[in-house]
Amino acid sequence: MGVDFQNVLEGLMVSIRPINLLWVLLGGLLGTVVGMLPGLGPATAVAVLIPITFGMDPTSALILMAAIYYGAMYGGSRSSILLNTPGDGSAIAATFDGYPMTQKGQAGQALTISAISSLIGGLCAIAGFILLAKPLASFALRFGPAEYFMLMLFTLSAIVSLSKGNMVKGFISMSIGLILSTVGIDLQTGVYRFTFDIPQLSEGIDFLVVIIGIYAVGEVLFNFINIDSIIPSNNKIGKKWITKDQWKKIKWPVIRSGPLGFIVGVLPGAGGSIASMLGYTTERQLAKRPQTFGKGDPAGLAAPESANNAGSVGAFIPLLTMGVPGSGTTAVILGAVIMLGLRPGPLLFENNPDMVWTMVNSMFIGNIFLVIINILLIGVLVRILNTPPKILYPLILVLAFIGTYTLSYSMIDFYILVIFGLVGLIMKLMDFPIAPLILAVIVGSDMEQNFRKGLVAHDNPFNMLSASSVSIVLTIMTILSVLYPFFIDWIQKRKQKKV
Amino acid sequence: MKGKWTGIVSLILLFFIVGCSSSTSGSGGEPDFPTKDIEFVAPASPGGGWDGTARAMQKIMSDEGVIEQNINVVNKPGGSGEVGWQYLRNQDAHSMAINSSLVITNNLLGQSDLTYEDFTPLGILTTEWISVAVSPDSEYEKGSEVMKQLKKDPKSLTIGLAPGLGNNDHLSFVQAAKEYGVDVPKLEFQIYKSGADVVTALLGGHIDVATMSVSEAKEQHKAGEINMIAVSSEERIDGLDEVPTWQEQGVDMVFPHWRGIMGPPDMTEEEIAYWDEKISQMIETDAWQTVLENNEWQSFYKDSEESRQYLEKQTQNYEELISEAGLTD
Repeated sequence: MGVDFQNVLEGLMVSIRPINLLWVLLGGLLGTVVGMLPGLGPATAVAVLIPITFGMDPTSALILMAAIYYGAMYGGSRSSILLNTPGDGSAIAATFDGYPMTQKGQAGQALTISAISSLIGGLCAIAGFILLAKPLASFALRFGPAEYFMLMLFTLSAIVSLSKGNMVKGFISMSIGLILSTVGIDLQTGVYRFTFDIPQLSEGIDFLVVIIGIYAVGEVLFNFINIDSIIPSNNKIGKKWITKDQWKKIKWPVIRSGPLGFIVGVLPGAGGSIASMLGYTTERQLAKRPQTFGKGDPAGLAAPESANNAGSVGAFIPLLTMGVPGSGTTAVILGAVIMLGLRPGPLLFENNPDMVWTMVNSMFIGNIFLVIINILLIGVLVRILNTPPKILYPLILVLAFIGTYTLSYSMIDFYILVIFGLVGLIMKLMDFPIAPLILAVIVGSDMEQNFRKGLVAHDNPFNMLSASSVSIVLTIMTILSVLYPFFIDWIQKRKQKKV
Repeated sequence: MKGKWTGIVSLILLFFIVGCSSSTSGSGGEPDFPTKDIEFVAPASPGGGWDGTARAMQKIMSDEGVIEQNINVVNKPGGSGEVGWQYLRNQDAHSMAINSSLVITNNLLGQSDLTYEDFTPLGILTTEWISVAVSPDSEYEKGSEVMKQLKKDPKSLTIGLAPGLGNNDHLSFVQAAKEYGVDVPKLEFQIYKSGADVVTALLGGHIDVATMSVSEAKEQHKAGEINMIAVSSEERIDGLDEVPTWQEQGVDMVFPHWRGIMGPPDMTEEEIAYWDEKISQMIETDAWQTVLENNEWQSFYKDSEESRQYLEKQTQNYEELISEAGLTD
């Protein structure tokens, strides 16, 4: 399919109108802020803004809502890096190497790396959008139940294999997550599972509550226990700008993770969490010295940041070309644009090309705004690290509770939040990896539903593994990711023998 | 000092009494209602049809000056409406909630103790119609051909729907199949999370037949990506004149996917009359017509009394279909 560059250019002209620049700036700022606060994600922000968009020009409304969405991808990792408390699933991977960098006194550089990687990931994805929107949309359609199941299985196995030397604990952690994901109404049969007659549980446990509980509340509890033994944390902000050496380290991971995150973002059943986790695990497996990952390796921060921002751009492809939202936020955006009289679907590109291309161009401008905003904010943000724990931790708790309440305005979630705070504390004390549990909660229910739909379509599980070229590739990658840690061990042992 | 205060208090009281009496007797029988902010409960997360209905009503009623009071929309998602409706039960007449067939079917399916009888129906507002669609490459070009195949072998086609068994999309298909003489309990349904997922599955060839709202299927149908082969309305739908109704294909049924509004139990006659008046004013506005058009909804207005009768009739119908589908023991 050829791309009509005339349309792309016209879109650029509309997107640089002052009013649209204002919307993209406002959206980006708002997204950054809500992204930083635990629980207050982009979906909530867009939903709150729906009444405001009512009277707006549909194009401007779409620009604003898109900016909030990818703005939140920039903001989301701020708290992951500085406080080890991600606000959303897509920001979890940023804690793996971002927080260790802060502990090493490189907070400033970590924030810069995250912003620059997000920018590059975003730009790769925008280029991909312009050139490949339609072919990718039809590629995404080939993902049936079997393919989604294998993609999710691969992501889980990759994340478990990360907990190297501790794979049993990683596996237990994942299994707990999978068990939790079975709570709620079972779509295929309508049976209520483990809901204990609490209607709020019928749609399952919201993974955001689990994330906020385990990370934010758990982190606070953990620090309270250790409050007497706390070593005065490394308050050095460090340099703000990255060194040449760091750039060399992140250059390829960023450029590789962009397209990867973009493609995962295009799949309506995947999303930012899977994109950033796969970005991280891929880079770790490609790295020459994987042992530095998890200890503050800039590449380990750059890859997921690039991937999740690229994924957020990719998510607009199924939304606009098929009317299929790939995430909670895009679902709310879809509802809002329908209210405005737009009909996302295959005809949108033909009927409203101006609008689509204006939005794509505004994403380009928005990403540049955002990298500037986020680098300027570094000076302010790192001051969080100088806040005395007495003030900081109660504040995080308050934000955690507010964020949780805005998810579904229900008190039940508070109990769940506290329970998972304790779970998080126990896991930290016993040195269990947390990411496998969270990821399992996020993908578990979809994975199960896809598995069961796949069984109906393919009769037996082994046919699912080889249902299509996509699932064969994913099957091989899953096997490799499980064997990989053993393989590395073997190589290292051989090396030692030689020495 | 004391005397001054007594004076002020009695003056305020006097104003208050005068104010009240003038509002009851003076301006032509305006009732003492509402006295505070109005609350619309959308028993779902932002973004869907319930939320959209509530927000559209909020917008129009305040913009067009139908209601002077502030109107707030609150989202109470969970349990297919259960959480929001439980909440409504303990509010006063200033709160109301959006409803749909689920307020009846949740109870019939044994998932809730509540029925419409626990509330005060205030009106039915809109309806959507339900379509059956196949891939354009499919060998079936009519709804009746799909039914013929299913009558021969109920398991030969997989049917996709969202988001749960016993909902409108499911029951309308069940009703059509029942009318045609298909062995309904043997049908194979695949349940997806949302209508959009059903469309994707149909486009990707992962299901054979889809049953979903006309609005969910329309864009893809217009683009020739899927083929809508039957609609559940009485007459063909504007803008989709090529798609025959079930009735035209010899399947005698009409199935609306309605949305309405209801208040808490035990509302007074005046309060009900107030809402009848306001809602009928609202649906007359041009803004409401635009909302209907943008969302592919059709007006399906029934006032409080008609709604009550309609819900009673619907209950019987749903009960039959649910037992036909084998969803009750």
